[in-house]
Amino acid sequence: MSTVYREFRFLMRERSALLWLGLAFMSATIAVVLGLKEVSEQRTTIADLITADQVEREVVKKDLADWGSAAYYSFHLTYDEPSDFAFAALGQRDLSPWKHRIRMLALEGQIYESDTTNPDFALIGRIDFAFVASLLSPLFLILLLHDLRSRERAAGRLDFIEATASGKMIWRTRGLLRTTLLWLCLVLPLWVGGIIAGASLMVLLIASAVVLTHLLIWWLIASWVANKDYTSAVNLVSLIGVWVVLAVITPAAIKAGVNVAVPIPDGGEILLTQREAVNDAWDLPKQATFEPFVKRHPELADYAKIDTPFEWKWYYAFQQVGDQNAESLSHAYLDGRIKRDVITSSLALLSPPVLTERLLQKQAQTDVAASIAYEERVRAYHADLRSWYYPKLFKDVEFETELLSLRPQYSTD
Amino acid sequence: MKQWQTIFIDEWRLWRRSYLAVSALVLFTLLLLATSIFTGLRMTEEQHAREHQQQEAEETFLSQPDRHPHRMVHYGHYAFRTPPPLAMVDPGVDAVTGQSIFLEGHRQNSAMFADERAAANTGGFGSLTPAKVYQLLIPLLLIAIGHGVVVRERESHTLTQLLSQGVSGTQIVAGKWVALASVALISLLPLVIASLSASTAGDSLSISLALVATYALYLLVWVSLIVLISTTTQTRGVALGLLVLFWITTAMITPRIGVASANATHPAPGKIETELRMYADKRELGDGHNASDPAFEAFRTNVLAQYNVDTIEELPVNFRGMVAQKNEADLTELMNQYAEEKMMQELHQSNHLRSFGWLSPTLATASASQSLASTGLQTHHRFLRETETLRLNFVQGLNQVHIDKLSYSDDINRNNDEESSRRVRVSSENWKVLEDFEFAPDQAAERWQAARYPLLMLLIWFVAFTVSGMYCAARIKP
Repeated sequence: MSTVYREFRFLMRERSALLWLGLAFMSATIAVVLGLKEVSEQRTTIADLITADQVEREVVKKDLADWGSAAYYSFHLTYDEPSDFAFAALGQRDLSPWKHRIRMLALEGQIYESDTTNPDFALIGRIDFAFVASLLSPLFLILLLHDLRSRERAAGRLDFIEATASGKMIWRTRGLLRTTLLWLCLVLPLWVGGIIAGASLMVLLIASAVVLTHLLIWWLIASWVANKDYTSAVNLVSLIGVWVVLAVITPAAIKAGVNVAVPIPDGGEILLTQREAVNDAWDLPKQATFEPFVKRHPELADYAKIDTPFEWKWYYAFQQVGDQNAESLSHAYLDGRIKRDVITSSLALLSPPVLTERLLQKQAQTDVAASIAYEERVRAYHADLRSWYYPKLFKDVEFETELLSLRPQYSTD
Repeated sequence: MKQWQTIFIDEWRLWRRSYLAVSALVLFTLLLLATSIFTGLRMTEEQHAREHQQQEAEETFLSQPDRHPHRMVHYGHYAFRTPPPLAMVDPGVDAVTGQSIFLEGHRQNSAMFADERAAANTGGFGSLTPAKVYQLLIPLLLIAIGHGVVVRERESHTLTQLLSQGVSGTQIVAGKWVALASVALISLLPLVIASLSASTAGDSLSISLALVATYALYLLVWVSLIVLISTTTQTRGVALGLLVLFWITTAMITPRIGVASANATHPAPGKIETELRMYADKRELGDGHNASDPAFEAFRTNVLAQYNVDTIEELPVNFRGMVAQKNEADLTELMNQYAEEKMMQELHQSNHLRSFGWLSPTLATASASQSLASTGLQTHHRFLRETETLRLNFVQGLNQVHIDKLSYSDDINRNNDEESSRRVRVSSENWKVLEDFEFAPDQAAERWQAARYPLLMLLIWFVAFTVSGMYCAARIKP
């Protein structure tokens, strides 16, 4: 213990080491503060939207005369509430939508709408804790560790220090002490943020362990390079080279490789197919719409016919058939994204920074899986709306405005 | 031979013998080649694909059968944003904004299906493009091989010898600067090739050269900084530490702080919030599908007076079409108001972000690069405006067909039976109201205009570092 204490005192006198630790602490703190701010803004937005959405639906309600127009004019808000740990890794929430306002028309035409922020922002990216932990922290560690040995050699003290048995251990002690201190500089702000945000203890522990493991991997790399008896400058340059390969080139190569290896249908095709189906239906015999519709809703088979050129039930039937026609493409698009994500998660083992980022996103529920899960919830809710309206539309149930309050409510579970 | 030339040659000899310098050069050359080829191929393919899709969308629209003209308003049309040739150097916002937009009546959709959303999630830097390699990584290469140029001589006491032989500090530092600058300029070779091939593909040569010059200036900012730090520090370790610190803060952290700051100072409401606000205004305009909506009362009185008739049935034109046309015009005015407001907000945000170029030469370069390549936010906004014009024109063209070629009585009775719904179909010849759409890159003058300010920032960075470097070189101490 006294060795550790002595090393700690040495470190406290070393200005450059304090600079890097301080910078790490500052970046982590800024990242946590900005993350908390963003999450609280997203929560406020959702709360405001819930109110505004209800108000709007009530206003619309006054003028409704039948089930068909009720479904046509009523939009319903769906949203994906950020988790209590989302502040640490905003992940896909910057790219994928976390709020949709949908109605009972063909869903494929609505679900890909994105409520994007300024593209300049998405291009540069955010400073969140995951960014600091996955990309910056290895650099700080490299800067802290690259000259431990080489500096002593340059000062002519190396042989002297390594002459004793405990002397050889000193690099490990020094290295691990610095790694631990860097880790504390990162996770302290994270824990404070986590407590403010009410994140669960388990999540915080896992996240801290992820960051520690990541740092230990870089400690191993740095020790390996530093043992090669090069000068400090050569060590630092080589280690930054390793960082460029692991943190920049490998992720970009994985991304490009996976995107080429797992092609997905052009999103525009899904939309096009759905639109074509919906628009063609107007010119087709009504039976061409009802047949595929009834396959999905055999219980409505007896009611699936009309004699006039227009009835709402036919209109919604061809909306659904539009979705059905685009289904295979839509599934391929979804499966493609899932497959890309699964492959990426194995390839992430090649790049500790990618792995760290993805693990933190997973804890924060801001990964691809979470954004797909939200999409699925929207689909399920849309299906609920259909099963609520269909019997009324098809069986000519008399319209009552009061009944509208019994419509399915979107819930986040 | 002048003294600085000897020093220049010496420096290169040293690099050639240094395992580290050679491997760094090889690594980055490969990286540059790989990203240039990959991005070049990808963007060229995208360009052809989108041009093709655009053509296909037009053909599909024109080949629609005879139907009620308003059905074509809802059938809609697609517009694709073709990337400019220089996107192969800097694709800019292409991957984060959708590349196509669905155009239909009564609505302004957003561009959907951004590539990045469906792409493999590897966090952090995302895809590498030549622009990103030059902005973020080549500075690291220059730091790696250049941080010791002067301080190395100081550490090994050769600087004392040089100075005592009567070589001036300025000569020494100038020689070192030219040596490092030559590395920087050689690294631009892939960019020169890519830019020139972009100009054969249609971008103006002067803009291509300006893009190369922008990156040259940016890298020279780094060269001057590296030489300045190397001149003024006592050990290589300190020089390297300071340079890496500058790189981390200006290339990695500052741009992101800029984003956070722009977001905080210019909050922009999302699409759904804006739409909800717009609905209240929209209701006052009435529903264009319903000609008897009380909102059109005044309009009807006016039209009746204009044609000097008493009832809408007596009008020589289709009143429903007139209502649709008027409503679309009013609605578009309203939607444009909100759309312009949103674009202004984004522009303010981006301008705020851009001012962080005074703190980060990387950000200034990124901004100049996107403006010159015509792949920035403003180009995307122009795309949105042009597609909106396209949308309004074909919708109003179809509404005009509705007014002129469809009788009012047929129109209101269209839902009576199959026969009457057939009677309201107009010939598909009328679909020719759709205009061809081709999204062209910004004009050279506009690109210059937009790039001027960030280029000025870069120039000031360059002058500041170079002048301080010259000052310190003249007073160099061993």
